[in-house]
Amino acid sequence: MIVMVLERVPVSLRGELTRWMLEIKAGVFVGSPSALVRDKLWERACRYARDGGCIMAWNTNNEQGFDVRLAGDCRRMIVDFEGLRLVRIP
Amino acid sequence: MVQDFRELPKLRDSWTYLYVEHCKVDREDKAIAIHDADGRVPVPCANLALLMIGPGTSITHAAISTLAECGCSVLWTGEQGVRVYAQGVGETRSSSSLLRQVAVYSDPEAHMRMVFKLYAMRFPEPLPEGITLQQLRGREGVRVREAYAQASRETGVPWTGRSYDRTKWSDADPVNRALSAANSCLYGLCHAAIVSLGYSPALGFIHTGRQLSFVYDIADLYKVGTTIPAAFAAVASGEMPVETTVRKMCRDNFVRMRLLARIVEDLESLFGHDESTAEPCDTHDPAVPGALWDPRAGQLQGGHNYADPGAGEESKL
Repeated sequence: MIVMVLERVPVSLRGELTRWMLEIKAGVFVGSPSALVRDKLWERACRYARDGGCIMAWNTNNEQGFDVRLAGDCRRMIVDFEGLRLVRIP
Repeated sequence: MVQDFRELPKLRDSWTYLYVEHCKVDREDKAIAIHDADGRVPVPCANLALLMIGPGTSITHAAISTLAECGCSVLWTGEQGVRVYAQGVGETRSSSSLLRQVAVYSDPEAHMRMVFKLYAMRFPEPLPEGITLQQLRGREGVRVREAYAQASRETGVPWTGRSYDRTKWSDADPVNRALSAANSCLYGLCHAAIVSLGYSPALGFIHTGRQLSFVYDIADLYKVGTTIPAAFAAVASGEMPVETTVRKMCRDNFVRMRLLARIVEDLESLFGHDESTAEPCDTHDPAVPGALWDPRAGQLQGGHNYADPGAGEESKL
């Protein structure tokens, strides 16, 4: 499963994502596309986000059971504690 | 206060460990967070088995009480290895595990059977009939020596034996430093699991005479599969500092072998205990004293006054 949160991005990008996922709240998308599609969607979101921010979380086979990536202006950062990934709030 | 302990994720599903240094750990809106120069990092501590605190860290009273409530163990560790273990009251309120451990510990025959069980778990092949304890120790020595030699062969990191001086940490060779850092991680997790299930870390069967004897007993089941290969691989990778690298590699090994779940399963099978049929501890109030021991009835209800009505009235005359 994948969750994406987009902030302050062009409407057209959100529209495009709804081809693949459900927009359960403005800017919050849920879906379960394949790993390949997931990475393509991430690329696309980063390319068209302009000044907005993108967040993607998806389940994977690590200790936490998921991984997260951020792009653009999200104000938060992912920090790696020897393999455990947590979020830093400035 | 966590009211219902079933809300807490079971240890087997927890994340293994988090190591922090040069920061401040404080309570943050009912959870805990790590504060440093760049901001704060909230830590989902109810989901964590072990918080390892390195040099230059300060931790507040509120943070420790939150960690204790969540059943997350804390250990202070530094260059010289582990200094202090701290834990809340574990995630079980019942003392049934501990009482079972004491019973096995204090009965010479059961104690011996437990020692054999602990050794048998380390060898893939079943133990030959009539093997003596001395022969078992010899076999175990060979197994460990072979594990070091194999890790050394596979990584090309030379191995001259386990040696380190607690007073001159930095003089130890990198692989010994890596082993110490990795083992403190493994000991911490074993300690957390033992406490969380309500056993005593001090009542060991193979090891004896230390406050952490049982931790050493349990950790020895997993070293060959986790910390030994991680230590050699960490040194071979050349990434510095070796302590950080080895902890990262240990995490991968712990995940691969489902270490926390394994420890829980192994403890249950050692003591013939099954969590699913265990009686739940009926009280949510940790301050309730529980039952009174009785040689015939087994247990009497606690919190009850057993004085005869009228006894103690003489003083009023």
